[in-house]
Amino acid sequence: MSESEITLDAGHAAALEPSPYAVQSKKLTMWLFIISDTVTFGAILFGYAYLRIGTPNWSAPFHFSPNIVNGLIMTFVLLSSSLTMLAADAAAKQGRKSSCLQWLGATVVLGIVFATLHLREWSHMFEEGWSLSTNPLGGSVQFGATFFSITGLHLMHVISGIIALIVIAIGYNTDWLDAGHVETTGLYWHFVDLVWMFVFPLLYLMNVAR
Amino acid sequence: MTETNHEPGMKEYIAIWVGLLCIVGIETFLTTLQLSTHKLLVALLLLAFVEAGIALLYFMHLKYEKPNLFWSLVPAVIFVLFMMNHIWPDAYRMLNLRVPIQ
Repeated sequence: MSESEITLDAGHAAALEPSPYAVQSKKLTMWLFIISDTVTFGAILFGYAYLRIGTPNWSAPFHFSPNIVNGLIMTFVLLSSSLTMLAADAAAKQGRKSSCLQWLGATVVLGIVFATLHLREWSHMFEEGWSLSTNPLGGSVQFGATFFSITGLHLMHVISGIIALIVIAIGYNTDWLDAGHVETTGLYWHFVDLVWMFVFPLLYLMNVAR
Repeated sequence: MTETNHEPGMKEYIAIWVGLLCIVGIETFLTTLQLSTHKLLVALLLLAFVEAGIALLYFMHLKYEKPNLFWSLVPAVIFVLFMMNHIWPDAYRMLNLRVPIQ
């Protein structure tokens, strides 16, 4: 069959078009998820800022120690986990499987440390009388409502990321998944880190008692 | 943003990581100054956007993807976030309409 005899209908021809983004479909899908999640976090942070401005008896309960110190440690841990994730991604691209798995393990451990610090902080706040609908300082309950909602949503992303990283590590180790999956999961993990870059200053630093 | 695929090595990533930690340090230092809530909010938001931009471009490799990806995703998000700014006048209205707390 000569080349001129090969014909394709429109549907098949479209599949042969070069990708305008030159990325794997899973990576593009992750980017689309990240964009939609950015808008979700953007909306709730704007909602928080709206209430922060519009509530005259807003409570700012945090002190440098232990609250901000704890927040700084959490920030350090999460930023460091992005670094270990980058190392895992680089190792996967170079085909260094054991190195990749070690860095993925380090990322999981740092993620668990972050989640533990977060839950410990929540536990202390619950003991002090804070909740979604109570304020032990007697001011507006909006601080507790927004703080636990936003940090809770972020914590849920962290825990989801830890689970995803464990699944990816197992899959990559058994050759069920490839370096592209590691990179795509890394994108999600960096996004969780990126969101924290807004959560920490807006919810912690803006609520230091003066 | 280029179409080249020369992603940074670990040394560059560590330098970026240190830079991000420095920005967090600056944010915390600003909190210790007795700035007004408005000034502090603006300063912290600006620094957070710088941090996020660095993370997006380098950690998430957007700088090294085809420009099409950047232009398809980022402007739309910035537009949506910009449009959310229309809530501020109502927040101030709500504050000023409140009965003063004794």
